Amino acid sequence: MNKKNILIILENKPGALARIVGLFHQRGYNILSLHVDAVEDTSEFSWLENDLNIQLKPNEVSKMTISTKVSDALQTQILRQINKLIDVLYADEKK
Amino acid sequence: MLMRALHEESVELIFGYPGGAALHVYDAVFRQDKIEHILVRHEQGATHAADGYARSTGKPGVVLVTSGPGATNAVTGIATAFMDSIPMVVISCQVASHLIGTDAFQETDMIGISRPIVKHSFSIEDPNDIPIVIKEAFHIAMTGRQGPVVIDIPKDMTAPDKTFNYYYPSEVSIRSYKPPVSPDDQQVQRAVDAILASKKPVLYAGGGAISSDASSELIELNKLLKAPVTNTLMGLGVYPASDEHFLGMLGMHGTYQANMAMHNADLIIAIGARFDDRITNTPSLFAPNAKIIHLDIDYSSVSKIIEANIALFGDVKNSLTKIINKLNDGLNNHDPENFIPWLNQISEWKALHGLNHDLYLDQSDNNMILPQQVVQHVYQETKGNAFVTSDVGQHQMFAAQYYHFDEPRKWINSGSMGTMGFGLPAAMGVKLAHPNEEVVCITGEGSIQMCIQELSTCLQYNLPIKIININNEALGMVKQWQDMNYGGRHSESTYQNSLPNFVELARSYGHEGIKIEKNSDLKEGLRKAFSLKEKLVFVDIYVDPSEHVYPMLVAPNGSLKDIWLGKDKKA
Ligand SMILES: Cc1ncc(C[n+]2csc(CCOP(=O)(O)OP(=O)(O)O)c2C)c(N)n1
Ligand SMILES: [Mg+2]
Repeated sequence: MNKKNILIILENKPGALARIVGLFHQRGYNILSLHVDAVEDTSEFSWLENDLNIQLKPNEVSKMTISTKVSDALQTQILRQINKLIDVLYADEKK
Repeated sequence: MLMRALHEESVELIFGYPGGAALHVYDAVFRQDKIEHILVRHEQGATHAADGYARSTGKPGVVLVTSGPGATNAVTGIATAFMDSIPMVVISCQVASHLIGTDAFQETDMIGISRPIVKHSFSIEDPNDIPIVIKEAFHIAMTGRQGPVVIDIPKDMTAPDKTFNYYYPSEVSIRSYKPPVSPDDQQVQRAVDAILASKKPVLYAGGGAISSDASSELIELNKLLKAPVTNTLMGLGVYPASDEHFLGMLGMHGTYQANMAMHNADLIIAIGARFDDRITNTPSLFAPNAKIIHLDIDYSSVSKIIEANIALFGDVKNSLTKIINKLNDGLNNHDPENFIPWLNQISEWKALHGLNHDLYLDQSDNNMILPQQVVQHVYQETKGNAFVTSDVGQHQMFAAQYYHFDEPRKWINSGSMGTMGFGLPAAMGVKLAHPNEEVVCITGEGSIQMCIQELSTCLQYNLPIKIININNEALGMVKQWQDMNYGGRHSESTYQNSLPNFVELARSYGHEGIKIEKNSDLKEGLRKAFSLKEKLVFVDIYVDPSEHVYPMLVAPNGSLKDIWLGKDKKA
């Protein structure tokens, strides 16, 4: 079991946060800490804009950091489950 | 506006039930004639009927319910569709927006309640958004790994006294949602190399192959490979049961040859299947020598339970086509002869402990009717062409084992949720979609009572379904487990002579009923039932209550080769 930090960029829509938290609960993953902010300054995510070929407006997306304790095997599964959520634009281990 | 948007989505049928928060919408239902509304007798029935419609057609099922109890009654059916990845759009009406959060009459947080059992959900906050939300909801339900979508609409968002500029988008693109379409070439080449190198392959196809409409590609692929094929409970029909390479269903109650083939394979090609626990038995003991190629549209299904050596992400129809193209390109030559020793080995297993499909030939009254015989007779009488819905229990497993499905979308059952009560309403949805086809519901006296109120709906809309009630006077599957694991203590699995007279019950709803107790009456009774083309016939068949479903995997801690073949017989 390792502590991992996960970075998630998701649409800032009602219920989006609940979907992430619900997913962790539902699949039995544990949350050590969780931090979420609406993204005011989108310049930090120009790489994502390039990757997805999109334009972000201020406060349109939220940035979430979750730290969790998981095995390496489960980590891929958690990331895939998060990415499967419709409102999630990006989720990966935070380096 | 809502009805117009649904019409533009080509919706033909809605299954629903009205109530306070839904009154505006129901008035709109009344004032249009493009979409037919089917009034069920319980919202669970609406979801299962929409689900049966979706499974049998490939189109999304649509449900309309009111707030509070209407919405919560729909939950079981939404979960059933979610677990089997069935496309469905559920419109749940909500109390007016200014009342939300005040514990108003019939207020329930439907978005919250349904969150873990939907692919996605929407709450309408501005009536102008209704068309785009409808468009997105159908797009999400139908693409990627399919599933149910809930749209919660507060009553004031549907008020008739307001008018809006209506615009329906012809296309939709959601920037945070891009399911994979087709696997990359390198992975396809690796898969083909593995196939060419294998001596003991098995094609293992599940419900995803049906969702993807990939049956013809699967058949085409196996014309080249000539490898053994097994289907999951959800996949039955995607590969024709009458084909010589078909091994039958695998898993918990799968055939001996299918489970032995999986256990001893050197290569397993999983096609829209997800290594569910009913398939793998103990994962660490699963197919110890097999390489795994996994074709799936859902990233999270791959390497979740069983690690895949080669993953092909994308619509499995596209993935299969790419494999076929490679096998045909002249550079990757497959010789089907390579598999002959393996096929011979499988034939031996089948000869040793395969299912007996000739039980129906015995029409003497020496013994009680066996449930397996009932299914075999139904198969004979319908010439294998019927749509068969089922409930959950022993009867479901007997139906899956003994009715041979040669086409996809004909076997309609709640595989993953195992929802008792599914069969009858699902059959309504199937019959409405296919009015000229034979639709049979193979059920048990326990399950049928969970949604029996829908007999009334069947009368209203004249749905001549044939209900085959395999009556063992018990919650048979529960009783079987109690026999096997709890010293035969039948805790709460029988009803002590409290069953209704099903024949009279059916008649009181205006249908026909036939009771069968003797083997020698079985063939005639079923023939009569199927001859009454215009009538719903409830055939109540008393079978041997002590019968168990076999084969059955030994669990817990068993592998796919640890199999009960009979009450005192282990492989
Ligand atoms: C809604 C629901 N409740 C409970 C169960 C658990 N369960 C699975 S099979 C079964 C017995 C079903 O009895 P019946 O419909 O008569 O079928 P049989 O096994 O006798 O053929 C029960 C209670 C279930 N699958 N669904
Ligand atoms: Mg029963």
